[in-house]
Amino acid sequence: MSLNYIVAMLLIALGLYCLLLKRNLIKIVIGLGVMTDGIHLFLISMGYREGGIAAIVTGEMLENAAGFASAAVDPIPQALVLTSIVINICIVALALSMAIWVYHHYGTLDPSEIRRLRE
Amino acid sequence: MMAGMTTIVRTISRLLFPFMFLFGVYVLVHGHLTPGGGFQGGVIIAASVVMLWLAYGLEQSPIGFKLFRTEVLEAIGGLTLATVGLVGLVMGVGKFFGHVLPLGNLGSLFSGGDLPILNIGTSIKVAAGLILIFYAMLRKIAGEEL
Amino acid sequence: MIEIAPIMAVFLPLFGAFLIPIISMVSKRFHAERACNWFTVAILITTLAVVAAMGAAVWGGGIMVYKLGGWSPPWGIVLAVDGLNLLIALIVAGVSSLVAIYSLVYMRQETRLDLYCVLLLLVTAGAMGITLTGDIFNLYVFFEIMSIGSYALVAFRRKWDSVEAGIKYMIIGSFGTSLILLGIALLYGMIGSLTIADLAQKLGQVAASDVVVPLALLISGFGIKIAMVPLHAWAPDAYQAAPSSISALLAGATTTAGLYAMIRVVYMMFGAFGVGTMFAIFGLVTMVLGALMALTQRDLKRLLAYSGISQMGYVLLGVGLGTALGVQGGLFHLLNNAIFKVLLFMCAGAILYRVGTTNLDELGGLGKNMPITAGLFVIGALAISGVPPLNGFASKWTIYIAGIEAGKAVFSLIAIIMSVLTLAYFLKAINAIFLGQRPKRLQNVKEAPLTMLFPMMLLAVLCIVLGVLPSLGIDLVAPAQGALMNQSGYINAVLGGI
Repeated sequence: MSLNYIVAMLLIALGLYCLLLKRNLIKIVIGLGVMTDGIHLFLISMGYREGGIAAIVTGEMLENAAGFASAAVDPIPQALVLTSIVINICIVALALSMAIWVYHHYGTLDPSEIRRLRE
Repeated sequence: MMAGMTTIVRTISRLLFPFMFLFGVYVLVHGHLTPGGGFQGGVIIAASVVMLWLAYGLEQSPIGFKLFRTEVLEAIGGLTLATVGLVGLVMGVGKFFGHVLPLGNLGSLFSGGDLPILNIGTSIKVAAGLILIFYAMLRKIAGEEL
Repeated sequence: MIEIAPIMAVFLPLFGAFLIPIISMVSKRFHAERACNWFTVAILITTLAVVAAMGAAVWGGGIMVYKLGGWSPPWGIVLAVDGLNLLIALIVAGVSSLVAIYSLVYMRQETRLDLYCVLLLLVTAGAMGITLTGDIFNLYVFFEIMSIGSYALVAFRRKWDSVEAGIKYMIIGSFGTSLILLGIALLYGMIGSLTIADLAQKLGQVAASDVVVPLALLISGFGIKIAMVPLHAWAPDAYQAAPSSISALLAGATTTAGLYAMIRVVYMMFGAFGVGTMFAIFGLVTMVLGALMALTQRDLKRLLAYSGISQMGYVLLGVGLGTALGVQGGLFHLLNNAIFKVLLFMCAGAILYRVGTTNLDELGGLGKNMPITAGLFVIGALAISGVPPLNGFASKWTIYIAGIEAGKAVFSLIAIIMSVLTLAYFLKAINAIFLGQRPKRLQNVKEAPLTMLFPMMLLAVLCIVLGVLPSLGIDLVAPAQGALMNQSGYINAVLGGI
């Protein structure tokens, strides 16, 4: 489905725009999250097979193992995306905690004013 | 010090909390049969506790929260994971993360070797970790030191 | 017993990191506050011993393969150790153990010492996982573990400069790792496998124009981690604001692991030796920019940060030349860079611990108060500038000769000029700190404590030994270089077990 890929690229572009051009640290972190979501969507839609079924093995499918293997979607990208979502949670939590401390010390969340370490 | 929400929100979240918790445990325990597993179940459990905090405020929430207990739970969850891997190595199976418990029939609850224990360990660690993260952020925003 | 050594080297720091909260709770009951730090030192020294035990099997050119859970590649995750892995694993484990010993005294007044030890063990576990794995998604996961640990460690003190440097490092670093994920996603869609050996085999049959985008994304992602110019913007702030033991860890362990990942992916997986010229040019730009910016710095740790960026340029130049001598020179300089950079950051930490500032304008005349620290700093400064008979000279000489032999004498000329500039700014730093007038308020500064001096003296002895006997260094590095160029042997050893 090429619609999936177009939306994924759009998400990555929007996330990049937020990451580069916004003037608030929280919005920058949100942009990072949106960009990673675009990459996840891209990764999952790469495993899709036309007319495929979910890759869960139940009792009656075990007799027709070869048929099941050719009809199911690829489960490896789904496992990769699960791992990446967990890592993303840790990154967003740490970035928001640091943003709280930056606000505590500097009084502002504007990245162009957080520049006391010069040169 | 942290203001809670209105009476409607408090009543509904107090009624919903046991069901959310039970749903989290269901997703966690059936991790090897249906979509879900350790991480997803842990997040749902943590979300149910955080929902009560947001509705009632940090001090008056009906959940009694002790910092020490949650930190110990998190460490125990991580150690369960590591020990299961080591036990697979030591107890004669010869490989890291080799299965020690029996692989039962397909589709029944007591099957899948070591996977249910790994799921439980992961979910304890994830739930405790996320609860600690939210607790730290809420206390810091309310102005108290950690 | 030896065949489980790869997984044990990754697993021991991770297990230690999970045990430390329990140990710290028990030790608070008995009022033995620093027990977790001693425990960290013990675990890291055991990891170093495990890594060294793998040396005998691998140095003859053999490759040790361990299948996780018994599943053979390409369906399972495999850990593959050859000469290159072993060299980098030794560097990482050694640097981490020395930083842990140094932290026994340096972080003594911290109340959150258990958090520091957990993060230190996590960074080590992540770096060991990067160096020993044979699966590219596993490499990404351990890369993230190492990076997240280092973001938290840079912002550890929670003061205004630490959080500013921390959030800058964090946002730039996470952007870099998401580029790596996109590159891995494109590779998986093209080939369908995740094991490095399998990808190396199948990428040989794919047209060159298809692999340009994943290759560019992966080089950019890893380049952000090793502070290659123009992706170096986070590095000076992060090195300046972090605690000095963490700056040493960043310079020694995480940069080395990031450079290993870049070399392994570009040279062995893609087989793209033609990219070497681009590496050499980036290396030259890095070298020049680092040295020029370091000339104007007023703060000691920022000066050391820029000089660290400059030294990474030498390594990229050596590795990018592509010939056997060039790669040997580059890897030898990587080993030497870990040794003298860690030594210099530890000296800066000793000065900060005793005096309270690292601003060059406020220091002076400390040579009488801290003679041992001054002597060790001078050894480190001479080593990094490439003065004989120290180890910097041996590795830089190899790079110069390799540049001339490869027909690019201009590169060697620029590298020699930059070495002279390095000597210039380090002499300026030594003059400003240890010689000259001593201000009144620095009259009673004492020498650094013995536990802090011990790792520094060990590193200085290594500098001198590797400089006087350079053949010892070449003996360590030659198996690594042979393993890097031996792509077909690696593929056969990993996949041949099926």
